[in-house]
Amino acid sequence: MSTPVARLPLVTAELDALLRQVARRDVDAFASFYDQTRARVFGLVTRVLRDPGYSEETTQDIYLQVWRTADSYNPAAGSPLAWLLTLAHRRAVDRVRSERAASARESRYGAANVDLPSDQVADSVILRDERRQVADCLGSLTDAQREAIHLAYYDGLTYAQVSERLSANLATIKSRMRDAIHGLRKCLGMA
Amino acid sequence: MTEPTDPDLIALATPYALHAVPESELADIERQIAAAPVAVAQAFADEVRAVRETMAVVSAATAVEPPDQLRIRLLTEVSTAPIVELRRKAKPWRTTILAAAAALLIGLGGLGVGLALRPAPSPSTAEQVFAAPDVRTVSGQIPTGGTATVVFSREKNAGVLVMNNVAPPAPGTVYQMWLIGDKGPESAGTMDAKAVAPSTTAVLPDLGSSKALAFTVEPPGGSAQPTSPVFAQLSLA
Repeated sequence: MSTPVARLPLVTAELDALLRQVARRDVDAFASFYDQTRARVFGLVTRVLRDPGYSEETTQDIYLQVWRTADSYNPAAGSPLAWLLTLAHRRAVDRVRSERAASARESRYGAANVDLPSDQVADSVILRDERRQVADCLGSLTDAQREAIHLAYYDGLTYAQVSERLSANLATIKSRMRDAIHGLRKCLGMA
Repeated sequence: MTEPTDPDLIALATPYALHAVPESELADIERQIAAAPVAVAQAFADEVRAVRETMAVVSAATAVEPPDQLRIRLLTEVSTAPIVELRRKAKPWRTTILAAAAALLIGLGGLGVGLALRPAPSPSTAEQVFAAPDVRTVSGQIPTGGTATVVFSREKNAGVLVMNNVAPPAPGTVYQMWLIGDKGPESAGTMDAKAVAPSTTAVLPDLGSSKALAFTVEPPGGSAQPTSPVFAQLSLA
């Protein structure tokens, strides 16, 4: 059985080629790029924003940015998927921070998790397979490491806010985050 | 790997890559990197890259399919493909096909590729449909390949048909759309091979009391009533 990472070069080559076509304003390539990545992007944005309306808007903005800036993607600097999800995460976090700033009581963004109906979950077999392997690797982290990543990456907190939330000092939080990434890379076969 | 000489800076690489550094500290970090020895800057960049590649793989864990109408909205926004507006005139089977972008606003402002065949008017039919509180989407496979999707609003009495990867009609024929209502099929326009581009969008400006949108193959110019079996149908009920 191939690991998610073993498949990456193939995915990377394909998305790389599509992005080049998108940079030349190829609508079909854009549609293919969207179809191959939409569940990852929309899922991440939804996980951060926890609001279907905001998530749809933000996902639309992300892909319009892809359409406008595909020519700025530099293969030497990383994979297309990393480029896309970095862009997506940046926008989602910006949005959640500005919504929080606008809402004095932060009532809209409580700690509650949105449970997604199973039929909405990405249905591609490959993605399901990957999901299980990644979930296993997330499960292999220590609770403290996983918590630090969750609060920062999915809840959009800064490392200082994470340190307050967990009553741990800044250096500890930074090294937990770093250790978490190292642990994931090792488990996923990326290190 | 040589241990970088600036552990404080390197310790920030992971939070930086996770967007967990507040806006107020970003400029300072970037200044420090610019002033750092090459090896330190490289170590920082390597770690940022490793974090981002890792989280790209991790994104499988949270993957969720977005709603279909998001795809339609995006493709409408970026599409410079021919866009067809179908209008029912006095003779209901006659079709007015307006080439490229007459009906749908193409939101490409700032890109220099926008086509403006008419001045930006009040919201287009498509935009009104997408924004309607009762907007709905139905989608179906065309037996010969491809998908037809109708986004529609009863309140706006209009819909937008999107055909993706539908095979063109055989030479010498067209596809004809029919709105099926209480009084039987009424033509909603035709599409020839040229109009059935890889992705085609058409506005259905008057849904009336129709319960379904059906497709038949007809001679060029269309027919007054269907002359061949319906090969695909989408329920609008």
